[in-house]
Amino acid sequence: MQRATAPYFLILPSFLLAAAIILWPLKEIISLSLHDVNRFGMLREFVGLEHFRVLFADPDFIAATWRTLVWTVCVVLGTLIVSVPIALILNEDFYGRGFARILIMLPWAISLSMTAVVWRWALNGESGMLNSALRDLGIIGSNIQWLADATTAFPMQILIGILVSVPFTVTIFLGGLSSVPDDLYEAASTEGAGRWDQFRLITLPLLRPFINIAFVLNTIYVFNSFPIIWVTTQGGPSNSTHILVTYLYELGFRLGRLGEAAAVSLIMFVILLVFTIIYVRLAMREEKA
Amino acid sequence: MTMICEQERTPLEAVTTRGPTMTFKQKLFLLAGASIVAFSSSAFAASTVRVTIAEYSKGTGPYFQEAAKAFEAANPDVKVQIEVVPWDSLQQKLTTDISAGANADLSIIGTRWLLDFVSEGIVAPLDEHIKPEFKARFIDTFLTPSVMNGKVYGLPIAASARAMYYNKDIFAKAGITTPPATWADFKTSAEKIKKLDGETYGFGLQGKEIETDVYFYYGMWSNGGEIVKDGKSGLDSKAAVETAKLYKSFIDEGLTQPGVTSYSREDVQNLFKQGKVATVITAPFLSGQIKTEAPKLNYGVAPIPAGPSGDQGTYGVTDSIVLFENSKNKEAAWKFLDFIFTTEQRTKFDKVENFLPVNAEEAKDPYFADNADLKVFTSLLPNARFAPVIPGWEDIAKTTSNAIQKIYLGQGEAEATLKEAAAKINATLK
Repeated sequence: MQRATAPYFLILPSFLLAAAIILWPLKEIISLSLHDVNRFGMLREFVGLEHFRVLFADPDFIAATWRTLVWTVCVVLGTLIVSVPIALILNEDFYGRGFARILIMLPWAISLSMTAVVWRWALNGESGMLNSALRDLGIIGSNIQWLADATTAFPMQILIGILVSVPFTVTIFLGGLSSVPDDLYEAASTEGAGRWDQFRLITLPLLRPFINIAFVLNTIYVFNSFPIIWVTTQGGPSNSTHILVTYLYELGFRLGRLGEAAAVSLIMFVILLVFTIIYVRLAMREEKA
Repeated sequence: MTMICEQERTPLEAVTTRGPTMTFKQKLFLLAGASIVAFSSSAFAASTVRVTIAEYSKGTGPYFQEAAKAFEAANPDVKVQIEVVPWDSLQQKLTTDISAGANADLSIIGTRWLLDFVSEGIVAPLDEHIKPEFKARFIDTFLTPSVMNGKVYGLPIAASARAMYYNKDIFAKAGITTPPATWADFKTSAEKIKKLDGETYGFGLQGKEIETDVYFYYGMWSNGGEIVKDGKSGLDSKAAVETAKLYKSFIDEGLTQPGVTSYSREDVQNLFKQGKVATVITAPFLSGQIKTEAPKLNYGVAPIPAGPSGDQGTYGVTDSIVLFENSKNKEAAWKFLDFIFTTEQRTKFDKVENFLPVNAEEAKDPYFADNADLKVFTSLLPNARFAPVIPGWEDIAKTTSNAIQKIYLGQGEAEATLKEAAAKINATLK
């Protein structure tokens, strides 16, 4: 009996800590989302699923949900595709590698909001650096108003998203690459394997767990990432660049609809939860096989 | 706070009477207790008034710190604690603070939010404190927006109006001698400016972020429209549709800077300082910015152009400082309010921020009375429209901004888009 209870007793402290920082706010959010709430967070009558009904009838919310999907997929996949070759190059021994590594990591040291502000200036139509650079290079004849329209603003936001996710991802990959033993490559090249085969048959499979972890962590970060979109366009013009987290902020803190905002955050929580469960399942199945 | 001191003292006296039988340990306790009381009485003797301040400029924080010090020197029993918050996060801070019951005693808020605060019983009426002498200090126009249900719920800490800044050099180059009196004149002028070099634009038009809707109202008011009329949105009125078409024609004919939906108010003001747009409609504080950032800019200030039937409007804005209902230091907080609304303090503050004087005595100060730019602004005040007292102002502003951004981008036809927005606003107004 004692044996059976001991483990539970031992995990109790960390469970209580987790409960205090996760379960309690969750309970509060659920209660906000089911009540009529005034703009100062005071609960009024119980309204059941009314906030959810309003949200699902709101075309801006539906559009923001789909946009969040596009945003997350593009930024995460883009980051992985860009980061693998960068990590491979930085793993080679060349003169000035330390310097190159610092250059790649440097953006990480700057706060995301700051980076976003710099990009907002760079993308300014009349006095932005990007336009003047492109004009000097003769690529464009007249200024492009990057942030005036979602068709140019949103792709630029995705590019910025990729750019700021690269340092973190490259760091994970470099850690992975340093754990691949050199003699594997030596053996492979004696057997006549070319560089592409070495990459495909040795590097990629051994890097797999690191790609997995970078994929999951990036997905969670990017899905919840607020500063880039808020600073550059605030989800506009006309709600056309909102993702769920910026839409949530606007609902809650600009328009004072805290009940609907709580409902959005619950929906986001469920989406991430489902994603994590699917991922853990897949990862476990792989481990067993 | 004095309550705490008294409670501390009672057990202490009880111990003292036991004097002769005291052990060493008890004496130690006594000493410790005494020092706690001594410490707490020095720290808590004064009641502390916490004030949340919106940061208008770099000068805001330092001004209020200085005012707090001067106030404390005159009132040694009150401490003032100033919390400066950037404008952009003020709403968020107030929402979270109030919902947690951790709000300050006084706070600056946008007067357009006041109705929501009053209807939830968050702010306290100030009438019991306001003496006729105090009320007489104010210019009436600016005090009225903070009066609701016949009670004063806030005092106008900042006041501003809007007028058209124009670049005299660009106008002269294009052969225009006077600032445009009507929107039709304005369009002809903008066409002349377009012919100059193709990189200077006549109408600096804001199309992004806060007050995108207001920039549209300037034209709408000139055309005789109203934001809300008889409890219904005026966005589907003939005046609104005509204004939308007028602005859109400015955009389509290249008379505004390209990509208007990527320019916030600050962005358009910057274009004006750089001489890239010939006009911008904004508040008096731009004069101060030009003085330090672009001192060579040769500019003038004129009323916003009038509509075909002579209608003309400017936007009057006040921010209010309010006293929260749950404040435990209402008396002390009022004393501080009384202090910062003296002519001397108001003059200092409005000079720092380039706001309009709200105090009648202050307006006579030569700094304001002889300032050519400010004179234009004050002359417009009789026609100024303030944000209507309606619930959900921010919601309505957002719906309006979304609709006109669609029109500016050419994603929606003016009449249909405005009609749809008006229907949405009418639902909010109910």
